[in-house]
Amino acid sequence: MIIKVFISLYHYTFSVNKTLALEEPKLLPGDLAIWFFIFMELLVFAIAFIAYAITRMQNLELFNEFQLTLNKEFGAINTILLITSSYFVVRAVHAIKRDHVNTCINNLNIALGFGTGFLLLKSLEFYDKFSAGITLSTNTFYMFYLSLTMFHFLHVILGMIILFAVAFKAKRGHYSAADHFGVESGASYWHMVDLVWIILFPLVYIIR
Amino acid sequence: MRTMKKLIQNNTNIHTIWLLMVALTILGYAMGKFGFSGLISVLILLLTAVIKGTLIIRDFMELRDVSLLWQIIMYGWLWGITLALILIYIFSLS
Repeated sequence: MIIKVFISLYHYTFSVNKTLALEEPKLLPGDLAIWFFIFMELLVFAIAFIAYAITRMQNLELFNEFQLTLNKEFGAINTILLITSSYFVVRAVHAIKRDHVNTCINNLNIALGFGTGFLLLKSLEFYDKFSAGITLSTNTFYMFYLSLTMFHFLHVILGMIILFAVAFKAKRGHYSAADHFGVESGASYWHMVDLVWIILFPLVYIIR
Repeated sequence: MRTMKKLIQNNTNIHTIWLLMVALTILGYAMGKFGFSGLISVLILLLTAVIKGTLIIRDFMELRDVSLLWQIIMYGWLWGITLALILIYIFSLS
């Protein structure tokens, strides 16, 4: 029953898009340069994820033991915060395409608010670990956990700087329905940050 | 008018997608919280991650109708990572 509901939802979400896809073929959203940048970032994270999985395979007991010390609640809430932030960024892109500049700015500000929530919660998680005396050299698991999550943390900061710059430029009237490439470029980078976390969260916090 | 209709349709869809992704996240968290482990759990967790990743690429990044090359790059990254993680997990069991 649950699987049936799940499949129906999946089909529903895609069927609407298929209709749209037939009506209007699209160019790559935003600037091409940002997509090369996104691709490079994804490759770096891919190598890091595979390195984590291989090292875990070689140190299975250690990884399973210390994974239990991670705060799964914080991880899950942070995932929801990033997904919700991305959702508001999508709304901002849709708004600017309709020439609704103020709605676009408001949605970007809300997205930045959720991004800040992520940074605060992640900082609290880091503080918790550091105050317990855990560092990069504590053991192999914490080395990977701290490196991966801190590297991602820096990407969230960069993504927020980009979104802030986009919101600032939007306020100054730089974007419109006819010229929204900048908004799409910033949005694409932010979604990449979300996409990486979607893999990172189950990989580091849940899978055992 | 047609464009407006499309945008409204698209926005409605975005709400469903957001809700679906939140639900899948809660499912993943619950599996971790209740101590699910083993190959089946990993397959479920990674499948939910692939679904969420697909939704981000297709509907948030709006890459559903872009060139085949970029779709191969993005979905290839998602599936490549997922299959590699599954294979490494299977090796770790033996």
